[in-house]
Amino acid sequence: MAQSDTLLVVIRHAPHSTNLLREGLDAALVAAAFGQSVHLLFMGQGILALLEEQGSGAPGQKATLPTIEMLEMYDIDQLMVPTKDLHAMHLSHHQLIEGVTLLAPEDVPTLLQQHTQILTF
Amino acid sequence: MILHILTKAPYSSVAQQMQQAIGEADAVLLVEEGVTAALSPSWTAWKAYHSRIYILAEDLLARGLNGIAEANELPVIGMDEFVTLTEKYAQTVTWY
Amino acid sequence: MQYGLLVMGAPYSTVSPHSALRFAHAIIARGHCLAGVFFYHDGVHNASSLMAPPQDELNMCQAWVELHQQHEVALDVCIAAALRRGLMSESEAQRHGKQAFNVAPPFELTGLGQLLELQQRSDRFITFA
Repeated sequence: MAQSDTLLVVIRHAPHSTNLLREGLDAALVAAAFGQSVHLLFMGQGILALLEEQGSGAPGQKATLPTIEMLEMYDIDQLMVPTKDLHAMHLSHHQLIEGVTLLAPEDVPTLLQQHTQILTF
Repeated sequence: MILHILTKAPYSSVAQQMQQAIGEADAVLLVEEGVTAALSPSWTAWKAYHSRIYILAEDLLARGLNGIAEANELPVIGMDEFVTLTEKYAQTVTWY
Repeated sequence: MQYGLLVMGAPYSTVSPHSALRFAHAIIARGHCLAGVFFYHDGVHNASSLMAPPQDELNMCQAWVELHQQHEVALDVCIAAALRRGLMSESEAQRHGKQAFNVAPPFELTGLGQLLELQQRSDRFITFA
C-alpha cells in the first residue's frame, strides 16, 4: 500500500484528560475534509478513546465516542492499535468499537515508515 | 528513515511507545527531559540503538548533566548536529 | 531546505516553545528557509500580546514577532484552539462581543487546513510539544 499522500495521526492521549485527543481528532477530520486519506494509530492511553462504553465527563466535558463514530463518514476507516499496548492496558479487542485493526509489534515501525506525513497527539 | 525525538524521561510510558515504533534505519534524539537518560547508562535503548541514538548538549548543560553524560561516554551532540540529523532523516516524530 | 514547525506547548508552562525557538534560529543559521510556525493546542498561548513575564525572562510572543521581522517566518495560530482559550484578534473579539483582544499581526488566526498545507509544502516538519 502506497501511503505517500496519506496522513498518519498518532493518538496517545486519553479522553477526559488533556484536550490533545480532541484536537488530534480535529486535525484528522480536517485533513479528511480536505480530501486527504487519513490513518489513525492509537497507542497507550489513547486506546481508551476506542472503548465502546465510554460516556461524557465532568461538566462541559464532551464525549469522544460521537467523534470516533463520525470518522467513518469522513472515510477514515483505518483505526489501528498495537496488540502489545492493548494488553498492557488489560483490555481486549471486544471491548473496543468495531473495525479496529490490531498490529503485531513488527508492524508498528513499518506503519510509520509507510507514511511521509505524521502528526502525534 | 525517521528521527524520533524524545522529550520525556527514559522510563516514561511515552519512551516505551517510542521504542515500539523505532525502525531499523531510524535514529533517536533525546531532548528536554529526555536528556535525563544520561543518568541511566543501563537503559536498554543505549544498546538497542547504538550509533544512532544521540543526546542534546544544550539540554544536558542546562540541567548540569553534561559531566555525567561524558563520564558515561554517551553520544552528545549540539544544536548544529540536531539540524544535521533533520537534514539526513526526512521524517521526524516527536514523542512528548 | 524548507522547514515547518508545529508548536503545541504554552510558554511558561512547558519548555517546548523555547526549544522550538532555539531550533528555528539554528536552521536559519544553517541557511535553511523556515516557511512557517503553526501554533496549536496550548501552543496558541505563544501568540498572546498580553503576556507580561518578569523583565529577566524572555517575552516569548515578542521573540516570535522578532523571528518574523528578521526572517519573514509566517506565524499561524489555529483559530478554534485559540478562541477556546481566550486568544482573540481584534475582528474575532468584535464578532464574539469581547472587550479586549490579544492576537495581532504578524500572528494570524487561521484554520487547521494551514497546518496540513504547511506540513505538505515543507521538506522537513518538526513538532515541539
